Amino acid sequence: MNYSDLLVQGLVEGCIYALIAVGLTLVYGLLRILHIAHAGIFTLGAYVGLLLTNETGSFAAAFVITVVAVGFFGMAFYRLFYEPILDKPPHVALIASIGLFVAMEEIYRIVFGATSISFLAPPLKDTVEVAGVRLEEGRIAVVVLAVVLIGGLAVLAGRTRIGIAWRATVSDAAMAESFGIDLARVRYINFFVASALAAAAGVMVALLLNQVIPTMGGVPAYKALAIIVLGGLGNVKGTLIAALALGVIESFGTIYLDRVLDRDAIAFAFLIAVLMIRPQGLFARR
Amino acid sequence: MTSWKLSIAAAAAVALAASAASAETIKIGFNTPQTGFAAADGKSVLTGAQIAIDTVNAAGGVNGKKLELIVYDDQAKPKFAVPIATKLIQQDKVAMGISGSYSAPTRASAGVYQNAKVPYISAYAVHPDITRAGNYVFRTGILGSVLGKAAAKLVGDKLGKKRVVITIMKNDYGKALAAGFKSVMANYGIQVVNEYQYSLRDRQFGPIVSSIKGDNPDAIFDTGYWFVAAPFVSQLRAGGVKAVVVAQEGYDGVKFIEIAKKAAEGVIIVTALDRDSKDPAVVKFMTEFKKRTGYGADMVGASGHAAVMVAAAALKKAGSTDRAAIRDALASIKVDAITGTLSFNKLGEVQKSLKVQEVRGGGWHYHSEITDAKLLTPPDK
Amino acid sequence: MYEISLLTVMSFSVIFALSLNLITGFCGQISLGHAAFYGIGAYSAALFTTDGGSFWLALPLAMAVAGFFGFIVGFASLRVRHDFLAITTMGVGFLFTGFVRQQDFLGGEEGIAGIPDPGIGQIPYMLLCAALATAVIAFSLYLKRSWMGHAFDAIATDEDTARTLGIDVARYKLTAFVFGTALAGLAGALFAHYVKFVEVESFDFIESISVLAMVIVGGIGSVWGVVVAAAFLSVLPLLLQVFADFKLLIYGVLLFTVMYFAPGGIDSLMRMLWRRISGRRTAG
Repeated sequence: MNYSDLLVQGLVEGCIYALIAVGLTLVYGLLRILHIAHAGIFTLGAYVGLLLTNETGSFAAAFVITVVAVGFFGMAFYRLFYEPILDKPPHVALIASIGLFVAMEEIYRIVFGATSISFLAPPLKDTVEVAGVRLEEGRIAVVVLAVVLIGGLAVLAGRTRIGIAWRATVSDAAMAESFGIDLARVRYINFFVASALAAAAGVMVALLLNQVIPTMGGVPAYKALAIIVLGGLGNVKGTLIAALALGVIESFGTIYLDRVLDRDAIAFAFLIAVLMIRPQGLFARR
Repeated sequence: MTSWKLSIAAAAAVALAASAASAETIKIGFNTPQTGFAAADGKSVLTGAQIAIDTVNAAGGVNGKKLELIVYDDQAKPKFAVPIATKLIQQDKVAMGISGSYSAPTRASAGVYQNAKVPYISAYAVHPDITRAGNYVFRTGILGSVLGKAAAKLVGDKLGKKRVVITIMKNDYGKALAAGFKSVMANYGIQVVNEYQYSLRDRQFGPIVSSIKGDNPDAIFDTGYWFVAAPFVSQLRAGGVKAVVVAQEGYDGVKFIEIAKKAAEGVIIVTALDRDSKDPAVVKFMTEFKKRTGYGADMVGASGHAAVMVAAAALKKAGSTDRAAIRDALASIKVDAITGTLSFNKLGEVQKSLKVQEVRGGGWHYHSEITDAKLLTPPDK
Repeated sequence: MYEISLLTVMSFSVIFALSLNLITGFCGQISLGHAAFYGIGAYSAALFTTDGGSFWLALPLAMAVAGFFGFIVGFASLRVRHDFLAITTMGVGFLFTGFVRQQDFLGGEEGIAGIPDPGIGQIPYMLLCAALATAVIAFSLYLKRSWMGHAFDAIATDEDTARTLGIDVARYKLTAFVFGTALAGLAGALFAHYVKFVEVESFDFIESISVLAMVIVGGIGSVWGVVVAAAFLSVLPLLLQVFADFKLLIYGVLLFTVMYFAPGGIDSLMRMLWRRISGRRTAG
C-alpha cells in the first residue's frame, strides 16, 4: 500500500471540505446560524460555473465570474431570508435554512433537469506526477485555490480595516458596534466571502467529477456541519485543521475501516469520539 | 423559464387527458420517483413507459381500448408507496400496476398488490424479495445475482482475465451482483485479489484507486450505477490503472460516456439492451427517447418501455381486464421487448439472454452475447 | 380505503413527532438523529415478528430496545450542549445507518422483507395506531402539566439556573431521552408493520430532519401544534400529487414561510386565531 498516495488524496479531499466549511463557520461565527442552505449555494456555483464554461469556452473566466456572482447572490440571500429572522431562536433559522435548501434543490431540478450535466470539454484533466503520486491537474488546482483563497482571506482579516472590523464583530458584536463598526456591512461581506468560497468549491467539484446534479449538495450539507463542529464552531483555524484531518482520516478509513463502517459513519464516529472528550470541539472558540 | 412553462403545460395536459379519457381506457398504475433524489431515474423510466404506451395506442390500443398510465410520485419512499398502491387499486381501479421505482417502495407496494390480487410488474427494482410477495408479482428487469454470474463468465471466459478486483456499491443491487459473481467465478478460474466497498453518495475514489494500483489486477468488476461509476472510472484512468473495467446494466446510458469522456473507452458491460440492434422497435425507442428528454436513452428508460410492452401483451392475451386472467396471461407469456425476449418462471422472474456492450469511439457498441441458459436461470423460489 | 391508509400514516407520524417533542420541545435538547430510534424500533419489531414473535409483544419490545439506546445516547446530552448536541445526535443517526448497512443479521442493504401482517385487518390497524397516538397525546399533555414537565421546562429555558434551583438536570435529561426514544421505537414498530418492509434508507438523515421540521413547524413544545403539523406534513406529498413536479418545492417553501412569518409555528398561529375569536366575542 502506498501511504503517501492515501495521504495526498486525503489532503486534496480535505481542501475541498475546507473551501465549503470555512464559509459555513464564518456564518456561524457571526450569526449563530447553522446555514444548511450553504450547500445549496455550493450547488449553484457548480451549475453556474459549468454552464458559463460551456457557453464561453473559458473555464478561467467562468470561474471568476461565478465566484463573484454567487458571492453577491449570497449577500442577497442573507438580506432576503436571514436578516429578518436574526432575532428569533436559533432553531427557527435552522429549519428555515433546511426549507430553503430543499427548495433550492428542487428549483435546480426543475430548471436544469434531474439528470446530470457535464462539461463539453473539461479542462485540467491531464495527470502529472508530484513526489511519486499521480494527480490530475484539477486536483492540484483545488489545493492551490484553497491555499490562495483561504490564505488571502487570512491576510485580509489581519491587515485591512474591514478585516479588523470583521474580527472585532465576530468576537463581540455589541462591543464592535459601540466602536462605530457597521454591523450590517460586516455581515454582508461575511456572506459574500462565504458564498464565494462555496461557489469556488462547487465549480471545482463539478470539474473533478465532470458532473453536476441538483442533489450534489447533500453530502457537503452534513459533512461540513461535522467539520465546523469538530473545529470548534466559528473557529476558522480549527475548521481548516478539522477539514484536512477528516479528508485524511476518510482516505485511510475507506481502505482500512470500510468493512466495519461506511465513509460517512467513519467521519461521525470520529466526531462523536472527539466531542465526548472535548465537548467544545478540537479547538474551542478563541 | 421555458422549463417552468413546459412543466405547467405538461401538468395541465395530463390533468385534461385524465378527465377526458375515462371509461374507454384500460388503466395501468405507475409509481415512480418524480421529485427528490431519485427523480432522474423516475424521469427516464416514465419517458420509456410513455413511449411504449403511445406506440401501443397508435397501433389501435389493446382489445379495442387505449391504454392509460396513472402516474403517482412516490419519491422512492416505502411510506408513500403503500398509500399510492392502495389508491391506484381502490380508487383508480387500475387493471394492473407497474413499478417504475426503486427496490424499497416496490417491495412495500408489492405486498399491497398481492393482497388485492392485482398483477404488478417491477420494471427495474432488483430486490430479490419483490417477487416473493406472491404469484401476482412479476419482474421484467434481470436480477443482480444473474447479472453477476453473467459478468463472471464474461471476465473469466470471454475475456480470459483471472486476477480480478471487485468494487461493490453498497446497496442491494451492488451486493447481489458481487454475490452472483463470486458464486460462479471458480468455474472460470477467477481469483479475487481484493475487494472494496463504496456508497452511492461517494464521488471521490482517490484512496480506492491508489489501493487498486497496488493490487495490479487484470480486470476490475464494478457494481455501481453510472453516476457513481463515471467519476470512478475517470479517477482509475487518471491514477494510471490500466486494467479492463467490466460492469453491468447500471452503466448503461449515454450519460456515463458524456461524463467519463476518454476514460470510458474500453469499458465493457453485461446488459439487456443492444444499441447496435437493427430491430425497428429498438431504433424507434432510442430516437424517440432522445427527442423527448434531450439526452440519450438509458437502461432505466428501456426497462420502463419493456414493462409496459409486457403489460400490453398480457392484457391482450387475457382479452379482458379481469385481474386473475391478466395474471395467468403474464405467467405464460413470451414477449419480444427491446430488452430481449422475455418470459417468466414460476416465481415471476424473467428469463432472457444478455448482451455485452463495449465503449468504442465515444459510444456503446455490440461486443457479444451471453446465451448460456443454465447460467442465466433466475431462482424460482 | 386510501383514506384509511393515510390515517394510519398520520397516526404513527404523530407518535414519532410527539416523541421528539418530548426531548426537543419539553426538555430543550435538540436532536438531528431521531430517525435512528424510529429505525431501532422498526428493526427490533421486524426481527421479532419475522422470527415468529407476536405482534403485541413486538410493540413493548421495540420501545424497550429503542429506550435502552436512547438512555445511552442521553449521556451524550450531559456532555455536550446546544449546537454541539445537535451535531452529535446527527452523528448518532449516521452511525446507526452505517452500522445497519454492514450487519447481515439486520439484512444489511437488503433490509428485512416479509414482515408478517398483524392479522387484524386494515381498519382495525388504523384504529390501533390512532388509539396509540391518542394515548401518546394524552401522555404528553399530562407530562407537560406534571412536576416533571416543569422540571423539563426549567432545563429547556436555562440549564444552569435549573441546576442552581436544585433540579437534578442529568436525571431529567436522561428521562426525557428514554421516554422520547421509547415512543419513537413504538412509532417505528407501527411503521414496520404497516409497510411490512424495513430498510435503512427509511431512517436516514432526511427522516430525522423531517420529524424535526414537524416539531418546529408545529411549535416547539406545543402538543396540539405538533399533532397538527405531523398529521399534515406526513401526508402532504400525497395530497400534493396534482402538483406533480412542484411538490417538494412547495414543502421546502412552506417550511421556510412558516419559520419566516410564524416562528412560533402552528401553535402560535392557533393562539393568534383563538385570541381573535375570543376577542371578537367579548367585543360583541
